Amino acid sequence: MSNTDKSSTQASQSGVLATLQRSLRGILQGSVSILLSILAAMVVGSIIMAWHGQNPLEIYGLLFKGAFGSQRSIFISIQRATPLVFTAIASTLAFRTGVFNVGVEGQFFIGAICGTFVGYAFKLPLIIHLPLTLLVGFLGGALWAYFPTIMRQRLGISEIITTIMTNYIATFLISYLTNYPMRDTLTTPETPPVHESARLVQFVELNENLGKGSQAHVGIFIALAVVAAMYFIFKYTKLGYEWRMVGISFPFSEFGGMDLDRTFISGMLVSGGIAGLGGIVEILGVWREYKNLFAIGFGFRGNLAALLGGQTILGSTVAALFYGSMEAGALGLEWAAGVPRQLIDVIVGLIIFFMAAPGMWAFVRRIRWARPSEEVRRTTKELEV
Amino acid sequence: MTTAVEMRGIRKVFPGVVANDDVDLTVEEGEIHALVGENGAGKTTLMNVLYGLYHPEGGTILVRGQPVQIRKNADAIALGIGMVHQSFKLVPSFTVAENITLGAELRKSIFVDRKAIHESVVDISRRFGLEVDPDARIRDLPVGVQQRVEILKTLYRNADILILDEPTAVLTPQETRDLFGVIRSLVAGGKTVIFITHKLREVMEISDRVTVMRDGRVVGTKKTEETNPAEIARMMVGREVLLRVSKEKSDPGETVLRIENLKMRDDRNLMAVQGVSLEVRQGEILGVAGVEGNGQRELVEGIVGLRPAVGGKIHLKDQDITSLNVRERREIGMSCVPEDRYVRGLALPATVEENLIVCTYFKSPMSRGPLLDLQRIGEFANEAVETFDVRTTGKDVPAFTLSGGNLQKVVIAREISTHPDFLIAAQPTRGLDIGSIEFVHQRIVDARDNGTAVLLVSAELEEVMSLSDRIAVLYEGEIVGTLDAENATEEGLGLWMAGITDEKEARKEEVHGV
Repeated sequence: MSNTDKSSTQASQSGVLATLQRSLRGILQGSVSILLSILAAMVVGSIIMAWHGQNPLEIYGLLFKGAFGSQRSIFISIQRATPLVFTAIASTLAFRTGVFNVGVEGQFFIGAICGTFVGYAFKLPLIIHLPLTLLVGFLGGALWAYFPTIMRQRLGISEIITTIMTNYIATFLISYLTNYPMRDTLTTPETPPVHESARLVQFVELNENLGKGSQAHVGIFIALAVVAAMYFIFKYTKLGYEWRMVGISFPFSEFGGMDLDRTFISGMLVSGGIAGLGGIVEILGVWREYKNLFAIGFGFRGNLAALLGGQTILGSTVAALFYGSMEAGALGLEWAAGVPRQLIDVIVGLIIFFMAAPGMWAFVRRIRWARPSEEVRRTTKELEV
Repeated sequence: MTTAVEMRGIRKVFPGVVANDDVDLTVEEGEIHALVGENGAGKTTLMNVLYGLYHPEGGTILVRGQPVQIRKNADAIALGIGMVHQSFKLVPSFTVAENITLGAELRKSIFVDRKAIHESVVDISRRFGLEVDPDARIRDLPVGVQQRVEILKTLYRNADILILDEPTAVLTPQETRDLFGVIRSLVAGGKTVIFITHKLREVMEISDRVTVMRDGRVVGTKKTEETNPAEIARMMVGREVLLRVSKEKSDPGETVLRIENLKMRDDRNLMAVQGVSLEVRQGEILGVAGVEGNGQRELVEGIVGLRPAVGGKIHLKDQDITSLNVRERREIGMSCVPEDRYVRGLALPATVEENLIVCTYFKSPMSRGPLLDLQRIGEFANEAVETFDVRTTGKDVPAFTLSGGNLQKVVIAREISTHPDFLIAAQPTRGLDIGSIEFVHQRIVDARDNGTAVLLVSAELEEVMSLSDRIAVLYEGEIVGTLDAENATEEGLGLWMAGITDEKEARKEEVHGV
């Protein structure tokens, strides 16, 4: 008896170590697979560049310089990454609650246009105006996520289809709004500028030497606050637990007594809200008025960043920052070397392609006659019984 | 008699663990060879080596006397080895014929020759006496028939050495009997069967020889007729196993659960529970026996609140709970160990801790306001892991790293630690090894002794008989009869389970049957 007692305390001690070891190994394995994917994508990208008659090494050098090479480029990276952090977190939240919110794109736009309206139509003191504008942006995005949500809940229509469709509706609705009712100038379809009291300050406006030549703004702090809030919610709140469990297993959560509909709807609405918040932050910080089609693709790139970041809050944030800086680098590349900016999208696409192919890595492992790790874990445990 | 398979000195190592250590196994042609051992003894690993799914670090394999190199699954199939896995590998939306021929379809130029496929499946099922409807879709078929399809799949690929990995784990007694009939006819037709199990009764009933494994090694091989269950059990666990649960006579109190004329529909919208009435009292175990598919699943889901009743009333502690949701029912004092532990009972990617709190996380002491009390939750989880002897490296590891028996302990820990007034245990020991079964049984009896009313729903007749204080038999959605456990006999219950209540009919059945 004392023998088993001793071994159980030993087991619990070594358990902590084993857990630590395992999580470290997990992180290591994760990073290795990301690095390998990036490497593979860069190799394929090099082939494309070489085919295009350029020296890949030089291009990658310029890319890196464009992203991190100077204070200015770092600020441009921040500027490009800010909206992506919002959309990446929005996608991640949806993914984790078990839905694929392809509608982040549309929710981003609707949030932006709703907020813009509040931004120019009312004259209020800053302390009220700015928060109100942000809130309306959030609500606009949430509202836009509500339609697909309710269609799935009531009618069982896949949210992937409905969110894609609502993206189109959003694009054309906004086209109409900026061309007719909300149009300000005769020359271009755009709204009146938002009032000073609703704007987010650009760093360069605070201090001339801070991020000169960029439009990076304090919205990045809002983005990071959202990251922190979501991380906290996921880890420390009942709502976060519900989201995670429903995302992992519907039948299990139902059996445990959770209200599936409420959990699913709340997850989707908050996801849409964060996307909408991202939209209005981008307007208030960079554009200060709504230009039609001002930022196509932020939503989709957010989806990609969420995939790239392994659908975790922190991972997606890092991926969004990475994606943003690569875009900034690509901008510099376009000026300096005449390489089309879209190349970076190709490379990111390739990275995700390589990462999203666990079957491929399994194949690589099989060549080495090794085993997929999951089976190993299972059997290891079974034998410990 | 020649050997069908000879495995010599097989060694298979997973990082940190030796799953097979110098394992020898000889299977004669035309025999039914039982391979037994507790979960994790290395039985499935060994068979996966033979079937080409794992590559051993050492050892040789001979098939029909010839040394062979099995590098991949296809090599094994080409050698006439077929395997039916514990979890079936079937496409639910395909028909039986499509599943059987998948990957080896008969073709007419580039098209699949549906007619020929249909005929070949009819032919093969007739040849081996395995009745199936080739045009039925897998998702509409009961588990027993799905298994038959799996067996046909291997026969279609001309297997003559069949490996069945715990084939009875998912079957009802009736289906098990059918399966045994099938196995016997296969062997009579010249096939060789390797039968993985940890049910001793089955070993005794069906096998010619038995090989016992423990901790990755072979303990010994015996002729079945020269051994007995107690000896095999000793070999498996290295200790005497209590095959019967020790429990005191029950002392039932007030009625806790009362069901009146409950009617439920199944997924196909057919009436599955047709007016069931029953009562479970404080401190007693009411066992519901019956061949699976006679409304047990729907009955349990109806009581738990996962499926709406179409008629009747459910009362828990004098409250009408018929229209309450799962959480409301749980809050009144209901708990449930669900039949499908991997779907309903657990979220496998979630941690052990997260699995332990799913029905308590939202209230004190697990949470305060909107926040989880992670410290209290951690303490609870550690306590539960210790009290319920869950073998895990910690509460923060994903559930899928645990073995089946330990996962069930997690479920039991969660459902019993709330001290429920009423507990449903649906197929609580399905697929578990002897040690875990004993543990689960003891916990259920303990809960009863602490005053919980227990409703045990099980397809294992032995389990129902040894655990229950009263037994009700469910047949085609109705309770055929209820009696005290001490008056129950296997034969009598068996007749009820077949829907026979009339004495004369019973006698007739006895004459015609067997």
